[in-house]
Amino acid sequence: MWINMGPQHPMTHGLWNLRVKIEGEIVKEIDPEMGFLHRGIEKISEDRHYNEVITLMDRTCYVAGIAWEHLYIQAAEQALHVTPPARALWIRVLCEEMQRIASHVMWYAAFVQDLGLMSPFLYGMRDRDLLLDHFQSFTGGRLTYEYMRVGGVRNDLPPGTTDRMRKTLDWLMDRFVEYDRLCMGSEIFRKRCDDLGVLKANDCIAYGVTGPMLRSAGVRRDLRKDRPYAIYDQVDFDMAIADSADVTGRYLVRMEEMRQSVRILRQVVDWLDKHPGPVMAPNLPRWLGAPYAPVGREGYLLKRNYPKGVGLSAIEEPHGEANAYVVNEGGEHPYRVKFRSPVYVNLSAAHKYLVGYHVADIPPIMGSVDVCVGEVDR
Amino acid sequence: MGTDGGTGRMTSEEISGRLKEKLPEAVLAFEELPGTAGRVRFRAESALEVFRVVRSDLGYDHLSMVGGIDWVEEREVIYLVWSDLRRNYLLLSTRIAARDAHIESATPVWPSANWHEREAWEMVDIRFDHHPDLRHLLMPDGYAFHPLLRSFKLHEPEELEVKVRRV
Repeated sequence: MWINMGPQHPMTHGLWNLRVKIEGEIVKEIDPEMGFLHRGIEKISEDRHYNEVITLMDRTCYVAGIAWEHLYIQAAEQALHVTPPARALWIRVLCEEMQRIASHVMWYAAFVQDLGLMSPFLYGMRDRDLLLDHFQSFTGGRLTYEYMRVGGVRNDLPPGTTDRMRKTLDWLMDRFVEYDRLCMGSEIFRKRCDDLGVLKANDCIAYGVTGPMLRSAGVRRDLRKDRPYAIYDQVDFDMAIADSADVTGRYLVRMEEMRQSVRILRQVVDWLDKHPGPVMAPNLPRWLGAPYAPVGREGYLLKRNYPKGVGLSAIEEPHGEANAYVVNEGGEHPYRVKFRSPVYVNLSAAHKYLVGYHVADIPPIMGSVDVCVGEVDR
Repeated sequence: MGTDGGTGRMTSEEISGRLKEKLPEAVLAFEELPGTAGRVRFRAESALEVFRVVRSDLGYDHLSMVGGIDWVEEREVIYLVWSDLRRNYLLLSTRIAARDAHIESATPVWPSANWHEREAWEMVDIRFDHHPDLRHLLMPDGYAFHPLLRSFKLHEPEELEVKVRRV
């Protein structure tokens, strides 16, 4: 018998439909049905200025908006032959790591609530707000930021940000201990998560699975270490690894990643205190630098002669590895923008970690995948 | 994992040399692309051979994405692959004529190509031969357009409405 879990089902955490074929309580076959949230972001990007695409990036993944801005900006800068100043790179990493913690805390809150534990949800939402307060102080937004620009970031951090950040980080480190005690100390949690949704390393690689799901299968891969972008080669941190390849393993990897993010953030705020400087590249092309580019014949001539290029970027987004491919054909808009969403690929392997388990196991397993439908459908 | 005798990292010249030695006919060009080991332009007819060599001989065991680009007269298919052994990306790309655009599916070599190819087919109208399950992914079943083609214009809602009614 085929049943629909979704599009409105608490398990989905977004708008998609998991069609499940069951025999008794056992899952025999699955067929994810996507596209309910498809907004055509790749198509709309072809009709926008390079800096206007940033607005779309925040909406691509609404729990990790700034990480997607970082992804797009790197590819756009490569395609447009622009080099940002060092301080902008450090601020971008500050944003990405804050976003990683915020995204993982959001995941923790939603996932543990799926298992029936209510308090962690409230704790998680409370702690995420502290990070959103920081985002608000320098980007003006709590969910959609529009902060990064081709050539740097929009504005510098306001005075006192780094000191406030240090207090938040200390507070968060104590909370992570509390999170662990609530979950790993709970018999209900362990019984519902151990040996569930197992996806071994060779299947992960064959199906392109990345991020915490891959690292929980014991594969040492993190783009921040393997292919350091921005300034990740200048900070010290460890890769979070587990070897159980199940739901508990994914939980442990994400928890450790949050601690490592705090470790990175401490180094980043120290660096930012010591190195003031510009946050935008000084010699941007006129049509790109201004919020509204020169129009008419003048603007046309400026853009027409701009060199062509191709940009490819890869970042370790909170959910896994994301790629962007930007083609600049010399015009004012990108000719083509292509994104690779990690959740999209992790979901495409769903038959490997769902078939054979019980229907009641689906919510914890899908919870551990950390689905964000915005970036799957784009 | 690759079978290059455990040498691990190879320079771009070595990769290009190995490709030209194994596939003298199929590889058209090897170009520099910052942030990757390089960009391989290959002949679409021998796609499956190229995929097999890139995966087994060069060790690029992880397919990150497949994308289609519409160049009006031609369509381009890009494959971004990653090697756990070499810790770098390699970009494969090929161009095919826009009329009856089709290429061999990469799913026998990299199972992860499944959804990427479904998307490239519905968005850019490139058919993937021998794909196990080539149907719509993000668009509804029976959707008659290919939105990422250059001929699909935004800002023309009236025209679109008429077409939908006719369907």
